[in-house]
Amino acid sequence: MFEGMTSSTLLEKHPRLEDVMCSLDSVGKMPRGVSAEIRQAVALARRFNETVARPYALELDREMHEDPAFIPWDLVKEINRWGFYTAWIPKIFGGKGWNLGSLIPVVEEFCSECAGIGNLMGVEYFGMSVLFAGWNTRITDKICRDVVEGERSGEPCLIAGLVTEPGAGTDAEETELLHKAQVRCLARKVDGGYVVNGTKVFISNGHVSTWHISTAFEDLSRPAESMMCFAVRRDAKGFNFGRMEKKMGQKGCPASEIIFEDCFVPDEDVIINGEQIRKLRHSPKETAQQVIDFVVTLTRPGVGAMGAGVARGAFQEALAFARETEVGGKPLINQEWAQCLLAEMYANAALARLTYMECNHVTGLYGMAWMLNWKPLYYYMKAMPPSVLDRVMPFANRLQATQQAFRKLIMDWQKDEDARRASGWASLSKFAATDLGIKNCHLAVEFMGEAGIRHDHRAEKFLRDSKLLQIYEGTNQLNRLNLFKCLVAPAAPEAQVFEE
Amino acid sequence: MRTTISEELKMLAGMARDFAAKELVDEREEHDRFPFAPLFEDVLGKAVEVGFFAVMLPEEAGGSAEPVTALCVVLDEVCQADASLGATIFTNALAQEVIGQAGGTDKVVMIACEDGSFRQGLIAFPSYNDPGEVDHCARAARARGGYELSGGVEYVVLGGLVKRALLPAKVEGTEGYSWFLVDLDADGIDASEPVLSLGMHACPAVDLSLSAVPGALVGEEGRGGEYFEAAVDRLSAAAAAMAAGVMKGSFAEALEYSRQREQGGRLIVDWSGLRVMLADMALKAKVADMLVEKAAFAADRGELGWQLASRAAALMVGEMATVATTDGIQALGGYGYMKDYGQEKRFRDAKQIQSLMGITHMRRLQFMQRVMDGEAAW
Repeated sequence: MFEGMTSSTLLEKHPRLEDVMCSLDSVGKMPRGVSAEIRQAVALARRFNETVARPYALELDREMHEDPAFIPWDLVKEINRWGFYTAWIPKIFGGKGWNLGSLIPVVEEFCSECAGIGNLMGVEYFGMSVLFAGWNTRITDKICRDVVEGERSGEPCLIAGLVTEPGAGTDAEETELLHKAQVRCLARKVDGGYVVNGTKVFISNGHVSTWHISTAFEDLSRPAESMMCFAVRRDAKGFNFGRMEKKMGQKGCPASEIIFEDCFVPDEDVIINGEQIRKLRHSPKETAQQVIDFVVTLTRPGVGAMGAGVARGAFQEALAFARETEVGGKPLINQEWAQCLLAEMYANAALARLTYMECNHVTGLYGMAWMLNWKPLYYYMKAMPPSVLDRVMPFANRLQATQQAFRKLIMDWQKDEDARRASGWASLSKFAATDLGIKNCHLAVEFMGEAGIRHDHRAEKFLRDSKLLQIYEGTNQLNRLNLFKCLVAPAAPEAQVFEE
Repeated sequence: MRTTISEELKMLAGMARDFAAKELVDEREEHDRFPFAPLFEDVLGKAVEVGFFAVMLPEEAGGSAEPVTALCVVLDEVCQADASLGATIFTNALAQEVIGQAGGTDKVVMIACEDGSFRQGLIAFPSYNDPGEVDHCARAARARGGYELSGGVEYVVLGGLVKRALLPAKVEGTEGYSWFLVDLDADGIDASEPVLSLGMHACPAVDLSLSAVPGALVGEEGRGGEYFEAAVDRLSAAAAAMAAGVMKGSFAEALEYSRQREQGGRLIVDWSGLRVMLADMALKAKVADMLVEKAAFAADRGELGWQLASRAAALMVGEMATVATTDGIQALGGYGYMKDYGQEKRFRDAKQIQSLMGITHMRRLQFMQRVMDGEAAW
């Protein structure tokens, strides 16, 4: 039946080769320096783990057990001092400009010791990705340089992303659900800005962040068509912290409720709104999904990396236990069943890692920051002294023309095909790697018996921490549906998703 | 089990359900804060009064002499609300059973104190370890016509709360290990702070360090493993009942939430993907219920192969509960992960129940060994 078909036609058949082997395309296009950057970043993360995370992880968790309102300011300052909060801010916005491909391997490293500390570092880049996704270079430049200044001064200036609402968790991440969602966060246009009312929940790093990048809706009856995004400082009038959640795990990373009560947001702090969206190529609803996808395409593989991290951490604790324990009078490490189990756990961590590394290739090709992997720009930015960029870019980023150019390049010119592939793979990594993560944690606790349930042996903490990974950044159920929508449904055009 | 048990056991189940509803549900989160909040000693006192700690104990020892099915019924109901009390009941029952197997029932006199104290009557026990596998045994030396225990025993459940513990120790010069009753108020005992654990915070454990502490031998020297294995045979059904109870609690909470929470403009229970997840939970709970009932009845009637039936129930129901309670959180999304609902606690408790009486893989290997040795498997 394939007679007469050209090779390219054959490769276009589902599953399209471009959909299933993204790394094949990526490797040749990837600047050679990326590999060295990943090595350096991972080495630094391992040094951080040995120096800070491992010695403190259990103590922090215990502290939060005792006092759920405890805020780990000292640890935030320590992460800030190590430079992790500015490492992946592009140089044009004043950061160190490390290649984005090195971020999620670092997240794995952190989470292989403590997913709470990993999130305390990593979720900064969730907030940042919400900020970036509207491609407002002026405000992005302003806030990123605040973060850089926070590192210089030793007073951390963190960014939180505010999306989830009490009545809208899954709904807030998919426009096909959003248009029926019970969202309540209203942004009402007034002279000179907006007045915002509503509540956001489960905001990671909420209580420790200075800048809060939030979604809201200009018309609550049409949320998918009226989503807007703004930035607000924690000291703004009408911005209030509500409760800090009492979580089962990842206790080191606060999850906050944020309440807006007639909170005035000046026009200059609006990242993107209906008026600006209407000037873009896509419809408002499509743009809302594009913005959501820009964010989750970066952050979902990050959660996948957290899955790989906990899978690896649980494996390491199980291995240590096997090496130091005799069961039935024989070293556990020499018992065949234990060797088989440890091999399976090793494989689970490796498989989780493979999913996010493939995503790294996908986002490098098709994500919102693809140009950072474009070789001419990559080497140009490498060669350009920061002092020069810091003199030029704050001015350039304020120009309307710069913003328009970025929005044209990144938003209007993005191919639907590329967006679909990137979003689908992000979901794949998110649910597959986190399912593998919790699986390994379950295995470790079971394998270690009495030691497995003890806090001082760490496996139980990995298990508690791992469960959240199946929930945030879209539940694993939503991510399965998104994978179906992006990677399976094209082969079944009659399929309707979210319309059961 | 509610539909098939006798009228007498139905009354017991109803009493346990009412007790759980009245004493456990409302304060579950606060009770779970131990050791960073006070222990629910008043609840333990009331549990003593209603006889939860003497269900299977012979009448001459102050117990109700009920069959293991009765213990399963109580644990099922209690663990639907809060497995911490269930684990306390279980640990004490396991210690009593080991002593019973050693023919030392006279050493277990359940004292229902008028002041509601549980300290005198309950027995601390390392209920998450099989001392024949992971060698957390003290050393016993013959001295002054008795024995003195030295060394360490890890994770002794209730060790910081009650007066007596049943501890494993190896007598110098003999094979195997033996069980000793030890007065925890005696000189030479050093108990750690409560060990922070995955689940069942209100059923705490301590690590004990002993230095020449007098111990009363239970049964015969070197036969500790034999007594323990026989006790595990009988009490495995009870461990399965705990896991089944936790699973039922998790399902009930998930179903209730799913009938109230909307996403995408409809109740989440009406999305078929979630409904399949709920169905899987319900199926596991149903199968668990049948397994517990079968195993407990078989044990009580002494049916051929009841020992392995009991162990099979503990292993399989224990595993099912860890999966079901993981989904029990998932059904509630972010809310399931927070302390506000009972789901995160059930997830932790179910996982901890799985480790009762030793590492599951070793229990599986033991099961297989007994099958190969010719014991009736079904």
